[in-house]
Amino acid sequence: MENKQYDYVENPFNVTRRQFMTIGGLIVALMVLPSLWVRSLVSNRNRYILARTKGLYRDDEKAKIRVSHANRAVAGYYRDFGGKPLGELSEALLHTKYINRTHGLTG
Amino acid sequence: MCSEKMILKHPMSVRIFHYLLIVSFLPLAVTGLILYFKPFSGESMNLTMQIHVLAGVLLTLDAVAFFLIGFERVVLFVKRVFTISVNDVKWFAVLGGYPQKLLLRKKVPVPPMGKYNSGQKLFGICVLIGGTLLVGTGWILWAFPHNTPRETVALMGTLHTVFGILLTIFLPVHLFLGIYMFDDFKAMILHGRISYDEAREQSPLWVEKEVIPLNK
Repeated sequence: MENKQYDYVENPFNVTRRQFMTIGGLIVALMVLPSLWVRSLVSNRNRYILARTKGLYRDDEKAKIRVSHANRAVAGYYRDFGGKPLGELSEALLHTKYINRTHGLTG
Repeated sequence: MCSEKMILKHPMSVRIFHYLLIVSFLPLAVTGLILYFKPFSGESMNLTMQIHVLAGVLLTLDAVAFFLIGFERVVLFVKRVFTISVNDVKWFAVLGGYPQKLLLRKKVPVPPMGKYNSGQKLFGICVLIGGTLLVGTGWILWAFPHNTPRETVALMGTLHTVFGILLTIFLPVHLFLGIYMFDDFKAMILHGRISYDEAREQSPLWVEKEVIPLNK
């Protein structure tokens, strides 16, 4: 607790009501406006992502072949050459291994 | 107990805000410089980042709490630092008389000042704008970088770096002058009080226009 070991204080009415409203309003406006700006940027970005997702789904609906096992070329590869999906030969030919290539980038 | 008349210059709420500011901003400045210059290996840099974030959260809580609880003091501070007169130009012309006092041991006439002198007003404006930007951009960079467009994140990163360096440069000047004005330093760090005579010497306009006797 603060003991009253002083004889003078600041006048609590240093700021008039009009000044308080004006300055306070300006402070709040200057805090809110950038927040609204960032919010609109984020929502615009999300709108773009949603539109792109919608476009991809639309393209998918229009496509004749929509899944890989219905693709005749893929089915032909397994029938004539690769054997079963996830078979030994297919795995050796089609699967890749992780290689860390970031060393060159980070120096 | 002292017998001279005292003025309450820094109330308890301001002092608590300032203590938390010291505890949070000093580690933020040090870790910020480390993050900028990257002198350590990966693990140490990770630890530095964690300390930076922790201190940033503390600074945010301190700023938000003071903004909500002591809003009238925020308004008063804004009014004071943005009230500019011809005295401020005159003050900057002699740099408050500090170089003459420190280097030449000479006292030059300084225009009368309010609670804050012109240098403190400039520092206050930088802290107010820079501090708010640092808190805002820091949160976006740490918590929401993937929700925010790439260009905006890059802009936030640049603003965070520029204002971080600016306030870090101000810090040693503030510390030196803060301790140099030892009565004011004790008032801010210890008890909040300053002697009437000292205040009339340092801040005559404040004493004349804003200070009133306490009705005990």
